[in-house]
Amino acid sequence: MRSILAAAIDDEADVTLVDMEAGLEHLSRSGGTLAYADALLVVMEPSRKSILTAGRTIALASQLGLERVYGVGNKAQPGDEEFFATVAAEYGVPLAGIVPADDEVAEADRAGTMLEADRGEPVRRAVAGIVAFVDDALVGSRG
Amino acid sequence: MKLGVVGKGGVGKTTLSALLAQAYAADGKVVLAVDTDSNPNLAMSLGLDLPAAEALPLLPRSLAVGGGDGSMSPAAMIATYGTATPSGVTLVNAMRITQPGGG
Repeated sequence: MRSILAAAIDDEADVTLVDMEAGLEHLSRSGGTLAYADALLVVMEPSRKSILTAGRTIALASQLGLERVYGVGNKAQPGDEEFFATVAAEYGVPLAGIVPADDEVAEADRAGTMLEADRGEPVRRAVAGIVAFVDDALVGSRG
Repeated sequence: MKLGVVGKGGVGKTTLSALLAQAYAADGKVVLAVDTDSNPNLAMSLGLDLPAAEALPLLPRSLAVGGGDGSMSPAAMIATYGTATPSGVTLVNAMRITQPGGG
């Protein structure tokens, strides 16, 4: 992905978002690619294994030269916000945000469609929070 | 700004990637979304129906890992392989890079 993530892409787009494969082996193979990313988000579900995996991903990314790696707790049911916060801290996963489980998002997922603009407000609020977190994290990091 | 999103299957990575892309676009940003997942589902989360999603051009691996041979500028790459979506985000489907020993 080197040519897509080369610095010149920032001339063409304000934000380039890359939806990547998940596995650690893929990350290590694409090593040089990751260094181009300003930040990496690791999406987790409310399970200890998922957060543990995120911790390993963060450690690997750090070895590959990418320091701004943050977890996102997704599909949070009531009570999962505390779960994510506690276990993420345990495994060294800084959190960019926690996204609640949402019926309207689930409906769009079942239909295989884009979430309509007036749907999923709690999720959109959480996503806006992640955007703000990433913006804060990157302040002063780029010329 | 270049942002990567990773996550194992089923955690909601693709849906979340689409929502993040939409949030930036709603803020007035020019957003390019690149799908490198072997199951390229980002298109549907950005509002393309299945036939349109399956008809999308695929950025060849040689360009994805071109590494500065100057064969195609980012602008030309987007013009050739980018597709506007109902979400307001431009989407590029890129071939998953999995070959051992490759870029």
